[in-house]
Amino acid sequence: MAGQLTPDTTAPSASPVTPGRRTARTPVRVLARVGTVLLKRAVLLALLLALVFGTVEMLPGDAATATGERGESAADLAARRELLGLDRPVLERFRDWMTGLPTGDLGTSARGEKVTDLLSTAFPNTLLLGGIALLLTALVSLALGCWAALRPAGRLDRAVSGTATAVLALPEFVVAVALVLVLSLWTGWLPAVTLTGADGTPASWDMLVLPALALTIPQAGWNIRIVRAALADEARAPHVETAVLDGLPPHRVLTHHVLPGALPAIAAGLATSTGMLLGGAVVVETIFNYPGIGSVLASAVTDRDSPVIAGVTALSGAVITGVLLLADLVRDTVTGARR
Amino acid sequence: MDLTRRQLLWAGGAIGAGVMLTACGGSDEEPTGSASGDSGKPRKGGTLRVGALGRAGAITRDPHGSQANESDYLIISLIYDTLTVPGTKPNTEPRLASDWTASKDLKTWRFTIAKGAKFHDGTPVTAEDVVFSLKRLRATPAGASRLPGIQAKNITADGDDTVVVVSDYANAELPLLVRLTTFVVPKGTKDKDIAKAPGTGPFKLDWFRGGNARLVRNDDWYGGEVHLDAIEVKIFESPQAMASALLANQIDVASNVGAVAARTAKGRKDVQTVRRPNDMAMPIVMRTADGPFADAKVREALRLAVDREAMVTQVLSGYGTVANDVLGTGDPAYDKSLPQRARDLAKAKELLKEAKFDTSKTYELYTTEDISGLAESATLFATQVREAGVKIKVVKQESAVFWDKTWLKGDLYTTYWGTNDSVVFFASKTMVSDSGQNEAGWKDEAFDTAYEKAIGTADATERTALLKELQQIEYDSSGYLLWGMADGIDLAGSKVRGLPTLPGYGRVLLEGAWLAS
Repeated sequence: MAGQLTPDTTAPSASPVTPGRRTARTPVRVLARVGTVLLKRAVLLALLLALVFGTVEMLPGDAATATGERGESAADLAARRELLGLDRPVLERFRDWMTGLPTGDLGTSARGEKVTDLLSTAFPNTLLLGGIALLLTALVSLALGCWAALRPAGRLDRAVSGTATAVLALPEFVVAVALVLVLSLWTGWLPAVTLTGADGTPASWDMLVLPALALTIPQAGWNIRIVRAALADEARAPHVETAVLDGLPPHRVLTHHVLPGALPAIAAGLATSTGMLLGGAVVVETIFNYPGIGSVLASAVTDRDSPVIAGVTALSGAVITGVLLLADLVRDTVTGARR
Repeated sequence: MDLTRRQLLWAGGAIGAGVMLTACGGSDEEPTGSASGDSGKPRKGGTLRVGALGRAGAITRDPHGSQANESDYLIISLIYDTLTVPGTKPNTEPRLASDWTASKDLKTWRFTIAKGAKFHDGTPVTAEDVVFSLKRLRATPAGASRLPGIQAKNITADGDDTVVVVSDYANAELPLLVRLTTFVVPKGTKDKDIAKAPGTGPFKLDWFRGGNARLVRNDDWYGGEVHLDAIEVKIFESPQAMASALLANQIDVASNVGAVAARTAKGRKDVQTVRRPNDMAMPIVMRTADGPFADAKVREALRLAVDREAMVTQVLSGYGTVANDVLGTGDPAYDKSLPQRARDLAKAKELLKEAKFDTSKTYELYTTEDISGLAESATLFATQVREAGVKIKVVKQESAVFWDKTWLKGDLYTTYWGTNDSVVFFASKTMVSDSGQNEAGWKDEAFDTAYEKAIGTADATERTALLKELQQIEYDSSGYLLWGMADGIDLAGSKVRGLPTLPGYGRVLLEGAWLAS
């Protein structure tokens, strides 16, 4: 994809910038921008984490009752509460947890396991699954979106857009259950669930196929529509019209004139998908028994386990921030180049 | 179905002499296959892949911690040994304790450690190791309920191979209690090293990762021959995924997978269904202390209004048996001579009238979706008693809310228990006036007296007679409506043999399993 992003020298430029000035200013500007954005996002993340602690606090019951055993007396519960530090005010617990964060200490779960241990294999696994799904989504939506755009308002265009809308409305669990039934239990082509090997990762690569597809299909539906709409918008731009009038072949117009301008919107769409992919992972991981953070998060909520929930939030937040930042940079680069 | 710590713990704590009862239950409509039987001579070798339920966030490696996950409990049980284990008849069999004797007053119990018992690193097990482990267990937040009536200072060693446990009161069932979570680790094991502590069990830990583990045979095990080379435990969050894995031949056993999965697998010839009777009780609790159900006649009326057969067929998909309102159905001393209560709507209405029960009001029945079938049982029950004129609205609560707000306090709610092989267990935990978990707020002097006499009587015959008296009182007037017992259900591939058929805790005893070639 990066190869297509080379500055488009044929594009009409409203405010030409000399090459020399651009190379001198851009890195500084980009760095400053990255810095401000990171700072803003860090503050946002801290607020979000405070919200997480506050919300867990408001849920009925607490980690002591949720992880206790049926035979425990009030005194046992009080002891457990003290052990977990739940007798201290929520603000104090939040402050303690936050001060550990910069050093990579995510605290201890209500069952006494280190949160970093709980997440150390689960989180990379989710990133792997989400990454594959994001990549597949990008490829599928770009390919189909462009294909449809080359024949605007044709039968194919209508078919792609229609299917995309239908698929986008499908919840992940419906897709997942259908995939298991058809591609595993009936045909026996692929494993039905993911089993974990000694290193904590899926025992074989083919176990990634079904969960990745279950995540990709609804997201592809969403992104195809974005790609198609962005291409249609850009196709109306004057420079595209010039290129068409110059008699350039349609695919060249698409790759050199339409696509670069549409990229910011496409990147933003994919960035939004990252959050949805991580959210969908909770459902998909359960159905495929995939060893990711989805199941960790779900059980942590049941257990009212604030350190674990906050840990998952912090990591997911960092990833989403990173991806959004990338999308912003894509926009900056493209619009910067065109300014 | 969502697995919870409570189900796990109590199902896990459970045992199984219960087979007795259901063994006479007649013919099942489907063959249970050979997974549970001893067909043929065991073959040595092979790796058994077992799926077990668990939540990734609830993993624990501590054998004395609170094990919410079946997967953790299974792994820990295969690596470490408890003093005793569940059996068929009697319900308590030797394991790390090869023998035990009680003083005349049933307060002082002496457990002898099995000859040749060694830790996986080769060190022999001493009484000091057991004392250390029991004290460590006692010091956990749930310690007082795990070793009831036993103070840490009253656990001592006498020589190298005898452990002396003194109970605060006479307790004929102490050997049964030490079946539950008395896993033994070497003396002086530090908390931070607990996950690496060697055990004495039939399997040694090869690796553990995120709830998944590989265990290899302990060739030096004192307890007998182990056939399998290795057991791989796979953690599953949902029974559906576990059933899919079994159907796709990715695992050999789906442990405690439940009735829904069994129904799914029914048409498959290559899948064996193992039923472990008396596994789970899900009684309805009616508050006796006060409120609309305080009158014994009202409780009797509800017990007569329920259609037990329909409950078993619909709620448990037929994987269960009808019960008779007495808890502890798997106990060898369970009283089968009590007349089976059947549905009698006319009598129920009459009793309600006599008790001047307000049938114009709608009563709330609280339940959770902690275990499969629980909320369904409440809904069906509400439909059934409407025919007797009692209007009930089912209120589903989220698990944490239920245990915090309703349990032990509500007028009418569902509950569940996995230790079903002991009448005394339920009496001591939930029915004696001063019991900590008196779910129905029941106080009955005659019952308390009968209980004290039974638990303090060493002679088995005499004790059985006393337990009969106790069960009669419970049958007549307790706050429980026990309509049926759910089977524990495992699914297994066609090659698996020698799986346990005991309910509750019995399901983790996999050392006898083997794979046919």
